Amino acid sequence: MTPCTGKEGLAFFGCDPWWLILGKGVVIFAFLLLSVLMCVWAERRVIGRMQLRPGPNRAGPFGLLQPLADGIKGALKEDIVPRKVDKFIFFLAPVLAATPALISFAIIPLGPVVSIAGHKTPLQLTDLPVAVLLVLAMSSVGVYGVVLAGWASRSPYALLGGLRSSAQVISYEIAMGLSFVAVFLYAGSLSTSQIVSAQAGGGTASFFGLFTFDTPSWNAIVLFPSFVIYVFTMMGESNRIPFDLPEGEGELVAGYHTEYSSLKFLMFYLAEYINMVTLSALATTLFLGGWRAPAPISTVWPGANSGWWPLLWFLGKLVLFIFFFIWLRGSLPRVRYDQLMKLGWKVLMPVSLGWILLVATLRALRNNGADTSAYLVVAGAVVLALLAGSFVWDAIKGPPPSAADEPEPERPAEPEPAGAFPVPPLDAPHYHGSHHGKEVPSGLH
Amino acid sequence: MDLYIPVVVLGVLAFGFAAFSVVMGSLTGPKRWNRAKLDAYECGIEPTPQPVGGGRFPVKYYLTAMLFIVFDIEIIFLYPWAVAFDQFRGLFGLIEMALFIVTVLVAYAYVWRRGGLEWD
Amino acid sequence: MGLEEKLPSGFLLSTVEQVAGWARRSSVWPATFGLACCAIEMMATGDPRHDFSRWGMERASGSPRQADLMIVAGRVSQKMGPVLRQIYDQMAEPKWVIAMGVCASSGGMFNNYAIVQGVDHIVPVDIYLPGCPPRPEMLLDAILKLHDKIQNTKMGAHRRKEIEELERAKLRALPLLGQSDVPRIEPPRVTQS
Repeated sequence: MTPCTGKEGLAFFGCDPWWLILGKGVVIFAFLLLSVLMCVWAERRVIGRMQLRPGPNRAGPFGLLQPLADGIKGALKEDIVPRKVDKFIFFLAPVLAATPALISFAIIPLGPVVSIAGHKTPLQLTDLPVAVLLVLAMSSVGVYGVVLAGWASRSPYALLGGLRSSAQVISYEIAMGLSFVAVFLYAGSLSTSQIVSAQAGGGTASFFGLFTFDTPSWNAIVLFPSFVIYVFTMMGESNRIPFDLPEGEGELVAGYHTEYSSLKFLMFYLAEYINMVTLSALATTLFLGGWRAPAPISTVWPGANSGWWPLLWFLGKLVLFIFFFIWLRGSLPRVRYDQLMKLGWKVLMPVSLGWILLVATLRALRNNGADTSAYLVVAGAVVLALLAGSFVWDAIKGPPPSAADEPEPERPAEPEPAGAFPVPPLDAPHYHGSHHGKEVPSGLH
Repeated sequence: MDLYIPVVVLGVLAFGFAAFSVVMGSLTGPKRWNRAKLDAYECGIEPTPQPVGGGRFPVKYYLTAMLFIVFDIEIIFLYPWAVAFDQFRGLFGLIEMALFIVTVLVAYAYVWRRGGLEWD
Repeated sequence: MGLEEKLPSGFLLSTVEQVAGWARRSSVWPATFGLACCAIEMMATGDPRHDFSRWGMERASGSPRQADLMIVAGRVSQKMGPVLRQIYDQMAEPKWVIAMGVCASSGGMFNNYAIVQGVDHIVPVDIYLPGCPPRPEMLLDAILKLHDKIQNTKMGAHRRKEIEELERAKLRALPLLGQSDVPRIEPPRVTQS
């Protein structure tokens, strides 16, 4: 293949020699597996510390070998294939769960163009004109692994877990897809490397022509609502607390992998953690400026965004995000399933649609030469006024009447549904024993 | 097509690893068979007989899947529009998409009103 | 039998044995099986003061397919017996059982028709832990003793040799006073391999 020199954008990709492609692939693959081990270790240690426990510390130094021990033990456990399962799908499901999780990472930019053994190549396996779509597609394929695992197990818990998981993931995928739209609007591209370079520097804005200032460049700040929506959907997509309904022990035993043991179970475990890493990496890329150094560093040190240093910034942001995941797990309880679906369909979706329209309007006005900062200030004033108004309204109205204040309304006797099992009226007087030969009526006790 | 080759390479690696693991899992480890082990786990109770073909599950899941397809297609329409947004002249692109989103929102309001988004 | 059991006796098998023993010992996932007051002490073993997560045990497994250790914490009623056995049967090999507390070990104070007089009537028990209820420290001690047992478990050819040696030792053993002068040949207890 022809070497790519002096080209810009996507043309940098797709011209690596075969050994470089293979090398990058193997390195990314190894990185993902290693990151799973580190995530499991970090999660158990951090949650331990959050609960004032030491956490695993006997297997290896600081318990670092704990995930490895789990893996070896899992590999040496008996592999149970229950009698009634659909054998082919039962074997296929863990493969289907793990493979797409690993593929998604191919398009994550880890750094700028560097020189590897004389070849100038970007620190990214590849980039596509539809890179983010690949991530969405792979997460959709990953759902097949989960739902097929539930289906093939022929067990009620597994089936319910698989269905719940698929319904949850596809519900949150809508909000996730919508949260990306504003990012694409700003970057003008679906390719991750261009989204990162679009966050290289903010524009300048003027405040009513009085003075000008640099706007921040990270999408997490510029498109803050999109970022918040993405973080919510990230939790939903990765089936983790507070949205880990598909495997809630209290209700579904272990959810879709109830019947899985040995390495097949570990594949699901692996897929869950790789999804966590990939979603964090995607959040870093789309919203936190990717591999670019955070603001104070890049201002004082121009070399921070070249060579191999960006790998450090990228990993730093990634680790922060994963820590955020773990922190949530250490502090939040599990939500109810109807609350979960309500949040996804009735809150995140309309909010993101409205936000997209708002962003598009501002963008269109700016493209047509209007002074958007004036609009922004006016809109901010209106929002603040609305907030203040609602606050005053609440203060005037006083606290809402609580249930205890209101007298219990008289309930009409419920008509017995036809064909139902006959039950005695539920407010029947209780027997409170007898006193001096007479029965004590209810309420006089 | 050169852009997609690395994805295929990583995919082959990933698939190979996953398939190898699943096969290895069934080769290693002790095997001791008993009747109960091959039954489905139902918290220690004898498993209830499952109907052939997997049985029935709530229609809500089906409805969710249908709604997902409808709205996912809407998102796919939004992506090219967002990418090409800066190339529109005037407010044409904005108004077109606003009309589209409002149309979808009408359907959304209808679904909400008819209880399609309730889960209880 | 798995691949690892078919290795030729010698250096390779010893290494695999040690690695497998270390991994199994370092990652004992308990099946949640609290039955009575001992379960409270078992939960207390996971608290900040005692914390069995140091040995990687905080990952309690809801499904027996992924569990390694069943801690029978509390008395087993006759009705619970079949349930316990079913769950034990459904656990994936290799698996271990700790009878926690005197009730699970021998029936304890519940010397009556409703309670199974020792869970070893139902499942093979690896460690009997006395106490009513045993303190978390005692459970930790039992777990550490179990770790020792897991670490020193033989595999494959070594296991067969071990069984043979145990059998020979039984045959050589002198009869005790009061026993029949014909030595009884008991089959060696094969719990785990």
